[in-house]
Amino acid sequence: MTTSDLVRRRVVSDHPLPWLMPLIAILVVFTIFPLVYNIWLSFHEFVPRRRALEWVGGRNWAQLWADTRFWQSLTVTFIYFGIALAVELVLGMAIALLLDADEPGFGFLRGILTMTLVIPPAIAGMMYLLMEDPQFGVISYVLKAIGLLSPATPILATTQYALAGVLLAEIWQWTPFMVLILLAGLRALPSEPYEAAMIDGASPWQTFWRLTMPMMSKVIAIAVLIRGIDLFRVFDYVFVMTSGGPGTATYTLSLYAWQQTFSFVKWGYGATLSLVMLLIVLIIANVFIKVAKVRW
Amino acid sequence: MSSVEYIGIGKSFGAVEVMRDISFKIEDHQFVVLLGPSGCGKTTLLRMTAGLETISAGDLMIGGEKVNGVHPRDRDIAMVFQNYALYPTMSVFDNIAFSLQVAKKPKAEIRKKVEWAAEILNLTDYLKRYPKELSGGQRQRVAMGRAMVRDTGVFLFDEPLSNLDAKLRAHMRIEIRQLHNRLKATTVYVTHDQIEAMTMADVIVLMHKGAIVQMGTPDEIYERPNSIYVAGFIGSPAMNFIEGTIDARGGAPSFEAPGVSIALPANSTARPGQPVTLGVRPNDLAIAEEGPIRGTVILSETTGQDVQLHVDVDGRDTIVVVPRAERQAPGKPLSLTVAPEAVHLFDRQSEARIA
Repeated sequence: MTTSDLVRRRVVSDHPLPWLMPLIAILVVFTIFPLVYNIWLSFHEFVPRRRALEWVGGRNWAQLWADTRFWQSLTVTFIYFGIALAVELVLGMAIALLLDADEPGFGFLRGILTMTLVIPPAIAGMMYLLMEDPQFGVISYVLKAIGLLSPATPILATTQYALAGVLLAEIWQWTPFMVLILLAGLRALPSEPYEAAMIDGASPWQTFWRLTMPMMSKVIAIAVLIRGIDLFRVFDYVFVMTSGGPGTATYTLSLYAWQQTFSFVKWGYGATLSLVMLLIVLIIANVFIKVAKVRW
Repeated sequence: MSSVEYIGIGKSFGAVEVMRDISFKIEDHQFVVLLGPSGCGKTTLLRMTAGLETISAGDLMIGGEKVNGVHPRDRDIAMVFQNYALYPTMSVFDNIAFSLQVAKKPKAEIRKKVEWAAEILNLTDYLKRYPKELSGGQRQRVAMGRAMVRDTGVFLFDEPLSNLDAKLRAHMRIEIRQLHNRLKATTVYVTHDQIEAMTMADVIVLMHKGAIVQMGTPDEIYERPNSIYVAGFIGSPAMNFIEGTIDARGGAPSFEAPGVSIALPANSTARPGQPVTLGVRPNDLAIAEEGPIRGTVILSETTGQDVQLHVDVDGRDTIVVVPRAERQAPGKPLSLTVAPEAVHLFDRQSEARIA
């Protein structure tokens, strides 16, 4: 019996369980246990004076309905999600179409475009916090110079502009991600239908809407899905740039859940809020997958 | 009027010149086949005609007007692509109707035209299907339908049958030719398949290395190839070539090579002593008691109706097509005869036809 025979015998098994164990272990430790614990937590609440979790039944869930803070943060989250997704998709598609060329230099352009993605979102948030500073921020300066903003208006401290100010960082950093996915889709499209469309007399506009968009629909759907899920749990930019203010202008659901859990030590209610977020994302994503006919 | 005329057309990719000085005219209603091996420039020439490729030199006239810089949609052409180039996300109906839809034609007119094309092409039952749900032959017909509804004077075909199996190809060949007889559009058809060219063309334009080597009717090209290249390209099995010299001793000119001595017609223009290549088609050779060509049978291949005999004539493999009854066993010495008028003579240096 040689060494390799020994090795072989030790790793051979006809039963699938040994092969699945590593994955199952990872899933249990990092996904299933936290989820189950979170659900368990949502039916309890931490009582500081006794330093213990107490069973509260459905109180956390019932509390949601009357909690205006929750509804406000949910509204802000949806606005943030909707605007960011729409702008990133349209802008991403436009940039992807511009970069879809074989001329020299375009490969380089495609490469540097993805550089925003290497910056940690919290750092990007701090960059924009500085750039939108009313005293010495370059964005504030430019907006004032072209007359879009009255002097001495602090973008992130003004109720009407704060969300837009945060969205600016978000869109700047994540549009290239959209471009990346859409560009990969565009590069993979066959060229023959376009030549046929040229002969058939289609204008560039008609070609885009009747050829490119239908052929790209699956890629667009996947880009929207990935980005959408990510957008719904936005935290970094808001936390770093405005902490939810002024007032509740940028107060998102994830920020609310975080605050309940870690600032107010309401572990049960924080867990409930995060579960609500998970449920909303699950429902929206699944409806979207059905409607957009995304197949995996 | 939809004649197509090429005047000194050339094409370069960067510094590489792939085609130069292409000049010929396709008359209205003619079915012209651009024939040649892959890489000869025939598809490039077709794509220049369509406007999908820029023209580097010369003038392209369609219907008497110069169209060098004209957009494909304004050239009065329709094209059928090698890979069909159907719109994958559109139904068969929309695929055929697309050119009319983008031109904003009335709905009723579009429906009528699409149904007319579908009727001719046997696609009526498939109008709601998508390209991926169709067979190769059906996709091919959708591509043709798309070209038909455009009401153009010129049809361009880019190797439309090369992705089909042999039986379907023979069938579509007939359909395309019938369609041409019916629609009477000027047709430029690119293929590397000489059978397609011979059976379909009014005129064949044979190309090689970016230049035209011969242009003529299928009969002319088959019967009087103007060079060794054309003679070898057209015909299956390929023409046999024997290298030798002209001998005029005893008055009448004759072709002499080891194992071969063929009397030439008295009006032959070949000079005595000239090094020549003699070409003779396998069908023009026959077994005889006493013939001018002597050799030994190497191999006998049955193709069905006929038998192809490979005969060793002084070390050269010479193919003879004979009826099945005249099949010969390998190793047998053989004598072959050929009619003087079936002999093609080419100058060995210039490779051009002599007689």
